[in-house]
Amino acid sequence: MGEGVSSLLAIKDLHKYFGRNEVLKGIDLDVAEGEVVAMIGASGSGKSTLLRCVNRLETPTNGTITFRGEPITPTNVNAVRREIGMVFQRFNLFPHLKAIENVALAPRKVLGTDSVVARRDAMALLEQVKLGAKAYSFPGELSGGQQQRVAIARALSLKPKAMLFDEPTSALDPELVGEVLEVMRDLAKSGMTMIVATHEMGFAREVAHRVIFLDSGRILEEGPPEQVLGAPKEERTREFLARVLNH
Amino acid sequence: MGTLATGTVVRTLSLALACLALLGQTVVSQAQGSLPQIKQRGVLIFATDPTYPPFEYMDKDKMIGFDVDIGNEIAKDLGLKSKWIGLEWAGVLGSLESGKCDLAMAGVTITEERKKHGYVFSRPYMLSGQEIVRRKGDNRINGPNDLIDKIVSVQQETTGQYAVQKLGVPKDRLLRFDQVQDGLMNVRNGKSDATVGDLPTIKAILQKGYPELEMVGEPFVKESLGLVAWKDNPELIGLINRSLSQMIVDGRYATAYKKWFGDPLTTAIVAELEARKNQGSPVKEIPIETFKAIKAAPQMGGSAFTFRWDLVREALPQLLKGALLTLELTALSLLIGIPSGLIVALLRISPIRILKWIATFYVEIVRGTPLLMQIYVIYFVLPVVGIELSSMVSGVLALSLNAAAYIAEIFRAGIESIDSGQMEAARSLGMTYPQSMQNVILPQTLRRVLPPLTNEAVALLKDSSLVSVVALAELMRVGKEIAINGGSPTTVYVTVAVFYLAMTLPLTWLVRRLEEQWQPISKPRDGARRFGWVKA
Repeated sequence: MGEGVSSLLAIKDLHKYFGRNEVLKGIDLDVAEGEVVAMIGASGSGKSTLLRCVNRLETPTNGTITFRGEPITPTNVNAVRREIGMVFQRFNLFPHLKAIENVALAPRKVLGTDSVVARRDAMALLEQVKLGAKAYSFPGELSGGQQQRVAIARALSLKPKAMLFDEPTSALDPELVGEVLEVMRDLAKSGMTMIVATHEMGFAREVAHRVIFLDSGRILEEGPPEQVLGAPKEERTREFLARVLNH
Repeated sequence: MGTLATGTVVRTLSLALACLALLGQTVVSQAQGSLPQIKQRGVLIFATDPTYPPFEYMDKDKMIGFDVDIGNEIAKDLGLKSKWIGLEWAGVLGSLESGKCDLAMAGVTITEERKKHGYVFSRPYMLSGQEIVRRKGDNRINGPNDLIDKIVSVQQETTGQYAVQKLGVPKDRLLRFDQVQDGLMNVRNGKSDATVGDLPTIKAILQKGYPELEMVGEPFVKESLGLVAWKDNPELIGLINRSLSQMIVDGRYATAYKKWFGDPLTTAIVAELEARKNQGSPVKEIPIETFKAIKAAPQMGGSAFTFRWDLVREALPQLLKGALLTLELTALSLLIGIPSGLIVALLRISPIRILKWIATFYVEIVRGTPLLMQIYVIYFVLPVVGIELSSMVSGVLALSLNAAAYIAEIFRAGIESIDSGQMEAARSLGMTYPQSMQNVILPQTLRRVLPPLTNEAVALLKDSSLVSVVALAELMRVGKEIAINGGSPTTVYVTVAVFYLAMTLPLTWLVRRLEEQWQPISKPRDGARRFGWVKA
């Protein structure tokens, strides 16, 4: 489609309606391999919907999304989902399974990995998010920050090429935000391609290669963090940043 | 935990027993009583089963028939009003002892057996006999001896049943029903070869329908019908005998006879009635004038109810057998009903519209009609279109189909109560819809629906008593049978109730234990997190 060779994910003219309400009004976005994109914007601006369209938890109304040059369609969606991990605002851990089983479930069911191997890999991932000691706890026994770290390990369990984060720290108590961001920072350093919807401006400034500002379903402004966050061109961006930073 | 749960069971049981004991002390005779009490009340109360033409049946909302006419004349002779209570046959005689009525008049055959149980009979007011019915032209059955190797339907605990048993037809080929019509329908549908019942009734029913059936010759057992009172009131029968004699003489009897049986009353019949006069209980006739002179008694509490342990002991083996069948029916129906219910629930939430409609239709039909009707349809109507099912299969099928509909709704509600983020998380990991259902949604659903599912199991256990209409002798049915002959229905029914509790209480206890076992959290942080549903 004439995209740059390094483009891993390409979104073209993406529209999404809920009923008669247009939530995404023509989004174009290319994400290169290894790039970390921070997506900011008021709630209701379409950040979540955009992420959910990428792995087809929502069906786009119009437009194309290609992953590694292939358009994502209903037929290859399960294969694509294996390569794009997702982390939810409210963790969505499986409450009836222990942490290690949460992480090992998808490899066993989707890839058919032997359960001993799946558990060993799961343990390694839990250690990577510094939760090896909690492997045999149920989600209900973990703090919010710990649950979100398990959720990140779970999203990594299929060795994805890219990760989507849907406001991963918004549901956390302030003192638990740090541990989750630290895990995400490590992940970014390791070269993972990431799209992160977030209100954590410090994290965006420090970790992201690019910041995009979403306003009413459109990308209003994008660029390096120091430019978008430090010297925004648009009035709306300035207003938004003033609101967020004064909180 | 064990002691706690056991404590609850013990507490519940003792509460139940206390209630029963209280019941035992306060159940007193309401209707039955001495002549002064009847006089004081001014109403003579009859119990009957109005499914028995031409003796008694319902014409729209009015009870009519030969018995009703004769009974009303008797009341008139005594200067009383009359009141008729319609019961199932199984409860008619029992209602005498429990004091719900003064007299039973339901085409009851006079037998020594019933006299022994404490029933007092009037002189015969009608000649009857046991008549065999076969499908038209079925030449294998020409008399009572041909029944011995056939399948025979009877109305349960009637002299018809006794007569067939006496012929030597074994129990497994004797199908017992609540109503005469059930037996006739069964013969027409080919589920049994013949049925046996009281001549006048069989004649009346055959005239109204059943062109496929015919009677076989003359009655093979001769019988007399009488009015029945309980043993502590023989004087009442004395008065009735006087009234009956008077009616036969003054022509009122002949009028009723012609009206309901179509044929005129012959002198031969009158002579036979006179000849059999001694078949009734030996009671002293009381002139009606004497009754009219009796002073009305002040209203009193009446006799107290006694719980008979000897009857319990005697009935125990039969009740156990019935309870076993009840358990068997319940277990089989759950075994079929739970998986079927789950499938129906999955169809109901399926995105494929036609499957959804079929499942919804099924649930609505089953929930919207009485279980009793469903049992009838499966057992009595399906044979018409060529589907023959045994009693046991019909019973289990009806119960499972019914339970499946309710269980489907339980599962559906359970599945829909699981946070939508669970399905999204599973799908975002590349799992297919069935994989997500099986590994993520259903395991959580199962824990959540356990309490309502237990409810359904307990309800099913009790509902299984309805299959007695297709001749399955489960606990309630056995109880009814014993209650008819045992003399103390209250004793029997209290025992049956204890049996039911003995089955349902352990079930609920077991499920409570299972719930504790399944609870995945060892150290709950707070109430809401205990079950692991609440995430933050």
